[in-house]
Amino acid sequence: MKRKLLFISVGILMMTALCIRSFAVSSVPYHTYNYDYWKSVYYTPAAYVPTGTYSGEDLGTGLFSSPQDIFVADDGRIYVVDTGNNRIIVLDGDMRIERIVDGFLNNGAPDSFKSPSGVYVTENSELYIADTDNLRIVALDEGGSLLKIIQDPKSEVLGDGFVFAPLKVVVDYAGRVYVVAKNMFQGIMAFDENANFTGFIGTIKVNISVTEKIWRVLSTKVQRERQIQFIPTEFTNVDMAPDGFVYATNYDPKGEQSVRRLNPKGQDVIQKKHEGSLSGDLYWRLGREYAGPSRIVDVAYRGNGIYTLLDTTRGRIFTYDHEGNLLYIFGGKGSQDGTFKNPTAIEVKDDKIMVLDASRGKIMVFSETQYGSLINRATALRYDGDEASAVALWQQVLKLDSNFELAYSGIGKSLLAAGENKKAMEHFKLGMDREYYSIAYKRYRDDLLKENLEYLLSLAMILFLAFWIGKASRKSKQKEELYVE
Amino acid sequence: MNKDKILFPFYILSHPFDGFYEVRHRGRGSVAVALVLVFLFGLSYSIARGYAGFVVNDINPRTVNSVLEVLGVMLAAILFAVANWSITCLMEGEGRFKDILTVTGYSMLPMVLTFIPATILSWFIAADEEAIYHLINDVSVVFFVVLLVIGIMTVHGYSFSKTLLTFVLTFVSIMIIIFIVLLLIYLVNQVYLFLEGVYTELILRV
Repeated sequence: MKRKLLFISVGILMMTALCIRSFAVSSVPYHTYNYDYWKSVYYTPAAYVPTGTYSGEDLGTGLFSSPQDIFVADDGRIYVVDTGNNRIIVLDGDMRIERIVDGFLNNGAPDSFKSPSGVYVTENSELYIADTDNLRIVALDEGGSLLKIIQDPKSEVLGDGFVFAPLKVVVDYAGRVYVVAKNMFQGIMAFDENANFTGFIGTIKVNISVTEKIWRVLSTKVQRERQIQFIPTEFTNVDMAPDGFVYATNYDPKGEQSVRRLNPKGQDVIQKKHEGSLSGDLYWRLGREYAGPSRIVDVAYRGNGIYTLLDTTRGRIFTYDHEGNLLYIFGGKGSQDGTFKNPTAIEVKDDKIMVLDASRGKIMVFSETQYGSLINRATALRYDGDEASAVALWQQVLKLDSNFELAYSGIGKSLLAAGENKKAMEHFKLGMDREYYSIAYKRYRDDLLKENLEYLLSLAMILFLAFWIGKASRKSKQKEELYVE
Repeated sequence: MNKDKILFPFYILSHPFDGFYEVRHRGRGSVAVALVLVFLFGLSYSIARGYAGFVVNDINPRTVNSVLEVLGVMLAAILFAVANWSITCLMEGEGRFKDILTVTGYSMLPMVLTFIPATILSWFIAADEEAIYHLINDVSVVFFVVLLVIGIMTVHGYSFSKTLLTFVLTFVSIMIIIFIVLLLIYLVNQVYLFLEGVYTELILRV
């Protein structure tokens, strides 16, 4: 009896142990998923896992109050805009506090910030602060002394009642300053290195559909006044790529394009897949909580054409490659470590993603898993055009996630180069890559024809001979008949 | 079912005016053959959706449902015939219901003949050759429309412009029929729910 009991208890223990192990694999408090070619959701292994949460108290600065922006400088320092406390917190690469910027000397007189909500640091460690409620941008040098102040821009294109309240700021290699301002629908404001307003870049065009036009014509004047005005959406955030291209996000109520890549002339040159979306989730519920399209509030350019968007509707993080392919989606709302209440900013430091949550007043750090790292590395090699080296990585990706379409077409391309057309065709079909499938198929078809040319020719010869003999014999029969007559 | 009736649709392919005239006035058409053709079209349509080659096929295989597609095509053909009949009755059309149904079925022959060969062809083509596949399919669809117009025109003894007018009105009446059918389904559902409620009440109280 005792033996039996022992046996059972050991059995139960083993089973629980197994269960715990399987729980440990999916212990991330959110789903990681992606959309396949047919736009259906499929779940993938976790690409990033939460590895740290830092509140103001953890860092020794006192609680954050509604922090709005985070920035990782080239030297690895991390700048957090603690909006409610009117200060910028500077951390070193290991999340230790280095200094707190809460004021500067303005012509000898001490000056401070009022609800700053954006920060940018140039390669020379010049600090640009969007000092929102003081209606100005403050540029400080590394030592904290004032370089320049951008405020009250004058131009004919700005209306008389316009109040310049900067929210986000970036600076390019030539010292040009790009600003996202409050209630500014005309685009991102550009300033030259002498703080003169030079114009707008990236204006979003308003698209009015035919039905909306007809509806407007049919409605009366009073009705028309009550209807929603067709104004372009505001930009929500900006990031600067090292090549001088500006990545800018906006809220798109249609859920089609929430991110733009602006060239120095201010035109959008982002690559989008045919019938694809650059706006986070493809489907959403219409009512109750977590409803509506993804509201993209920040973008982080990560090098090699990869960029990551932060959505505040459902707290998700979307990563795209340079062609607009979704690589992985993760994140969610909640109060556990690794989930958000009101995420406001995203930054990338080496292999880590940092998200700043305004409601919880915390910085959350995510580290890449093997799965995420494989995808990042393979995509980077693909961006460089080194498809051959990417193959080994793609094969490992497929071991973890056999639905990853980019991996199939990546492997297909190397098979095509190696002349294994039949295998390449299979891979391109799995990767839903019609263009390359066609190339592989054509080569396969040509090879098949070449190999079997002799048989085909002999077959044609035999058929021709049979036809000829048949015809000849029929003729001779007719002659015979004539002869008989 | 004699051989002549089965082969008659092929005669119509080359002689649509004469053929449809004989359908109406000399009884050479057959509703059974027409229905078989509609069924075959539904089948070939579904096969083309499901099995066309990778290069030309942009249909999600998860959405292909042969039974639903065949039934849908048959229902659409019958709906068209009913709607057209209800309009032409009022507009001095000479055609009977069975003539309209026969015309609808026989006009589908070009698509029945080309869809499956085109599907097989699509297995052997590459991206820049897909025009051939689309050309074959488009030609057969245009042929179908031309035959349908000629057929409706001939069996009713209409002029061309009057035929086009009846097509527009047929479309409107299809919409009305669908609306009424949906209304009916909703009402029947309400009655059923009421009766179910009464039954539940009785079961629980008695």
